[in-house]
Amino acid sequence: MGEDISRLMDGELADGEVETVCSRLNRPDGVTTWVCYHVIGDALRGSGAHTAGFAQRFAARLALEPTVLAPRSRRGSPLPIAWAAAATLAAVAVVGWVAVSTLEVPTTALTKARDAGAVRAAQVRPPAVPADYLLAHQEYSPTVQIQGVDPNLRAVSASTAEPRP
Amino acid sequence: MIGIADLSDAVEPPRVGRAGLAALALASLLFTSRAFAEDPAAWLARAATAARALNYVGTIVYQHGGRVETSRIVHWNDAGVEYEKLVNLEGPPREVIRSQGEVRCYYPDAKLVRIEPQTFRNAFPSLSSQQQKSLAEFYDLRKAEASRVAGLDVQAWVFEPKDGLRYGHKFWVDTASGLLVKARIQDEKSEPIEQFAFTDIAIGAKIDRDMVRPSFAAAPPEWRVREGGAGEGEQADTGWTVGRVPPGFSRIVEGYRNLRGKRAPVAHLIYSDGLVAVSVFIEPTGGAVHPTGLMQQGGINVYVRQLDDYTVTVLGEAPGATVRQIAYSVARR
Repeated sequence: MGEDISRLMDGELADGEVETVCSRLNRPDGVTTWVCYHVIGDALRGSGAHTAGFAQRFAARLALEPTVLAPRSRRGSPLPIAWAAAATLAAVAVVGWVAVSTLEVPTTALTKARDAGAVRAAQVRPPAVPADYLLAHQEYSPTVQIQGVDPNLRAVSASTAEPRP
Repeated sequence: MIGIADLSDAVEPPRVGRAGLAALALASLLFTSRAFAEDPAAWLARAATAARALNYVGTIVYQHGGRVETSRIVHWNDAGVEYEKLVNLEGPPREVIRSQGEVRCYYPDAKLVRIEPQTFRNAFPSLSSQQQKSLAEFYDLRKAEASRVAGLDVQAWVFEPKDGLRYGHKFWVDTASGLLVKARIQDEKSEPIEQFAFTDIAIGAKIDRDMVRPSFAAAPPEWRVREGGAGEGEQADTGWTVGRVPPGFSRIVEGYRNLRGKRAPVAHLIYSDGLVAVSVFIEPTGGAVHPTGLMQQGGINVYVRQLDDYTVTVLGEAPGATVRQIAYSVARR
């Protein structure tokens, strides 16, 4: 199933298969996989921005959204239907996901959903551990001084996305 | 295995830094003295000194929140002057050069150099007696297993928290040089939250100046250079305090800091339980919009909230509940 969901996300499913796979999203593990794959994809692309429990809160918000079935666009990606299907889920057990926040832009998946206009995207604030506060803090942290290399690794990692024009 | 005595070969004779040698001598003394041989705090003090005094080249893996970052590090102590170069091996390229009190971060893809002053307040954790007391009271300090990391014989030490307000720490120290080669922050189930580990390392390696030079010219043409403002602030009475401090934490520093991008200095209070620190930043909100709530990166939790016209940012190597409790206890003195 995981592979099917992955292909759904990449728009690789044939039209007939989309309905079948989307119906699987009605299962709790289906949504878990869906959310997790998006988080993985975003993290790999360096564009993920999440807080602890994001997946959980997001799924809970989605569960509250009204079901909207957007007309299927032959040319568009099958995403709008998938989002609509996910929104009908009442109770979902999802994996709490902790990821590093980087950019100030919404996740790719949400951007697509917003564009599709099928579902009102959950508000996601992409928070970042503010690098300057971190650097100021690390001058005094005993743990950091023991480790020596720590300050540069953590602070630079936190500010990965900062070099943007 | 490279012993401490071999270091004199790696550093240019006869200009071996007095400070470096003195630190090593003191560290060796600490190590061999029977009174300290079994003391975790002493081992950690030795590790902090070793990190600054020794020359080493190696590969570090940093894991946090399901993310893995691999970097190459070169550290050189040249007659007491430290140089360090850190290059990440995956993801968008990044180079960090630390020398002469300055840190330069090179981002080739973005054609950007960030320059920040960097100071370490202490040569090694010079804990106040209050912090030492807290350390013993709120953590179980114990010697753990002897094992191997990056091909070196290491001794593991565990700081196990006695309450749910702090994380557990485990440190693996190279028995020969005293250098910390692996460190982990773990939650109450002993699940790792964050981990640093050398996967290979050459301690006492011969380092030459080129190995710590940036791969780019100091200010490459067409690159933007962003200089950080002077971070240092003054110790001062800010008029703020944390009313209900979690047990074991005491304030160690209070003052104002200049942070990049902020017009006015920010009040900065630091609380510590001897092993970890939690920083409290308080600034007038002005018109800025700050995301509020809990954020996390590996072992660091950040909690931001609004308090009247001020924004309070609390961050540190402590569980979310702890930084949150501190954030809600901030008050005027």
